[in-house]
Amino acid sequence: MEYDVQKLFEEPGLIQITTWARGVIQNKDARDVVFALANAASKEGKYVQAWENYVDLPDRVNVPVRAYARISPNPIESKYIYENENPDVVVLTEEGLVKGNNVLKGLKPGGVLIVNTKRDPEYILKFLSDTSNLGILGCVDATGVTGYIKTLSGAEGATDASGIGAGVGAVLAGAAAKAKEMVKLENLLGTVKNQDACRYGYENVKLMKVNEVGEVVSIGKIKQNKYDLEGLPFAGTVPSPKKENEGMVTGNWRTERPILTKELCNDCLICWLDCPDATIFKTEDGLIDFDLKYCKGCGICAAVCPTEAVTMVPELDFVD
Amino acid sequence: MGKKRLITGVVATAEAVRLADVDVISSFPIRPYTGIMSELARMIADGELDAEFVHAEGEHAQLSVVYGASAAGARTFTGSSGVGVTYAMEVYSPISGERLPVQMAIADRTLDPPGDFGSEHTDAEVCRDQGWIQGWAATPQEALDLTLLYYRIGEDPRVLLPQYACQDGYFVSHIAGEVDVPDEAQVKEFLPPYKNKHQLNIYEPQIIGAQIEPDMGPPLQYQRALAMRNAKEVIKEAYDDYNRIFGRNYSPFVEEYMTEDADVVIFLQGAHSQTAIDVARRLRNHGEKVGVVRLRTFRPFPTEEVRDALSKFKVIGVVDNSANFGIAGGGGVLLTEARTALYGEGDKVKTVGFVAGLGGEAITRDEFYRMFAKLKDIAKTGKVEQNAYWVPFEL
Ligand code: SF4
Ligand code: SF4
Repeated sequence: MEYDVQKLFEEPGLIQITTWARGVIQNKDARDVVFALANAASKEGKYVQAWENYVDLPDRVNVPVRAYARISPNPIESKYIYENENPDVVVLTEEGLVKGNNVLKGLKPGGVLIVNTKRDPEYILKFLSDTSNLGILGCVDATGVTGYIKTLSGAEGATDASGIGAGVGAVLAGAAAKAKEMVKLENLLGTVKNQDACRYGYENVKLMKVNEVGEVVSIGKIKQNKYDLEGLPFAGTVPSPKKENEGMVTGNWRTERPILTKELCNDCLICWLDCPDATIFKTEDGLIDFDLKYCKGCGICAAVCPTEAVTMVPELDFVD
Repeated sequence: MGKKRLITGVVATAEAVRLADVDVISSFPIRPYTGIMSELARMIADGELDAEFVHAEGEHAQLSVVYGASAAGARTFTGSSGVGVTYAMEVYSPISGERLPVQMAIADRTLDPPGDFGSEHTDAEVCRDQGWIQGWAATPQEALDLTLLYYRIGEDPRVLLPQYACQDGYFVSHIAGEVDVPDEAQVKEFLPPYKNKHQLNIYEPQIIGAQIEPDMGPPLQYQRALAMRNAKEVIKEAYDDYNRIFGRNYSPFVEEYMTEDADVVIFLQGAHSQTAIDVARRLRNHGEKVGVVRLRTFRPFPTEEVRDALSKFKVIGVVDNSANFGIAGGGGVLLTEARTALYGEGDKVKTVGFVAGLGGEAITRDEFYRMFAKLKDIAKTGKVEQNAYWVPFEL
């Protein structure tokens, strides 16, 4: 038997939506985006599913986490997967996620990216590496309209007693519905709690055309796991890192960056003592500095500094 | 050369543990295996054995102690019976998954209820797919030999898997028999020192049992499956060496008794095989062509050897000394696995199950006699009317 499996398993019309967010503080809004869109589509008689990424670390504050929805005119056949392989729409609940995360990975040609930011699409575009498949980039200041909903209700697949779409998630779902034809606004409004916020997103998202791309048939990429059995660690043992752990680079957890005002620093090293990730070190000229490969931007250094020598600055103010 | 002694299975096992020069032992009492630990404690107190003896707060902890000790490079020993075996269930897969050749003696015992001390293979058999080497000793001598054999097999770098060295509770564990206790020089020749592949070491830290992502799961399981596959070759080698050095005559997987021209045989494992052989011999004296096939290694299940052995006969009665409620075929694990081994042989080999000796009841000679009679009937009529019989209620 010899088939082109890519063709054999085509699912025309299947729309994949992926939301990126920050662990714990934004899990709920990421979930709300996908559940709001999926519920609205369900009202329209479409086939839907929605879930949170199972492998991300949902219990670490600020860690990038993902949530997914899939909407289809036909019964969804490739149901049991971990990730959306080829998203049509990617939504970021926070702007800093464009750094250090390949948010456009696998994007379908002509796909949409929606970012929660005050900034313009042109500025955001600078941080995106491969934009060849990106059709539309949309920016909306969701946090300016409403806040993040911080709750553990609905975590781990349980019922969300707090309802869907009371905060930022509603704005972003509205913006996504505007950028990509998938659900009617009225059905989305019938799903979310904060309808004004949702309508705001739909009406105020700044859309920018990035690439002109024609009609695309939805194809889920076929994943084939290949293993080098010899090269694998014996019995799953993992050598412990002695200095740094390349397998756990945490710089992309950062939404804000610590910046030192040299004149105010008295070299007391309290920040060095308190940094939970041991990312503060001394440079050759005797000043303290931050290892941005691992700094999570938790802000503890700024909080404990007795002279207010550390300031937390939005990560996206820096283009590096 | 060794010394002849009249000892029970529990003492024979302890003697083997002493001879294997085990480093760490963890115990928790439950009948009938307890005697092994009392004997080992005595040996340590009397200076016959130099080992750490950790009395754990329960079987789960017991297994956790040897898990860590084995990772640190120690040769380890533990054991249990009945509900003690099942209480430790969580720890079995991590030990085999980390490829630590811990040895656990199981002097088997029926699971509750009833709170019955009697022997039944159920407790050990429910652990059968946890990645441990497993088999049954049918005499105190075999209990000693199995202990030494399993250290050698489990610690082989091609295998590195833990082992359940099982013996029938009471029948083997508590009835003293003559045992040849080998001397240390023989054991030294047979059993090299234990060397772990990923020994814990403060200078080269590593994480054992780390949390991994789902796509790392398949190769881990596959590595363990390959180890189980490799074990067959290693088991053969180990038995060859054992027979040579200690003057025994064991077959590694399947042993046949009076099967040359037999049309019907009983297939089983453990102590009750001794009774079955006795009954077959008496029937032979009257010209009945009956025999016994005994399974010596249960995990890895020797599919080819069982097929080759059993496919020669017309009718096979598979005796299960375990309670497997709702199982396919209505017998026990051995029946389903024997049938799987016979896949492809078609209807020329007929199989029927007998569930017997539950709750620690002895399987009497009279019961084996009735089983043989049933097999003879089937051979004559060519009809298997019932997949399996619960003895004595249905036969
Ligand atoms: S705590 Fe503040 S003053 Fe002290 S070393 Fe750090 S930055 Fe400088
Ligand atoms: S923000 Fe400050 S305390 Fe937090 S990880 Fe970065 S350097 Fe360390």
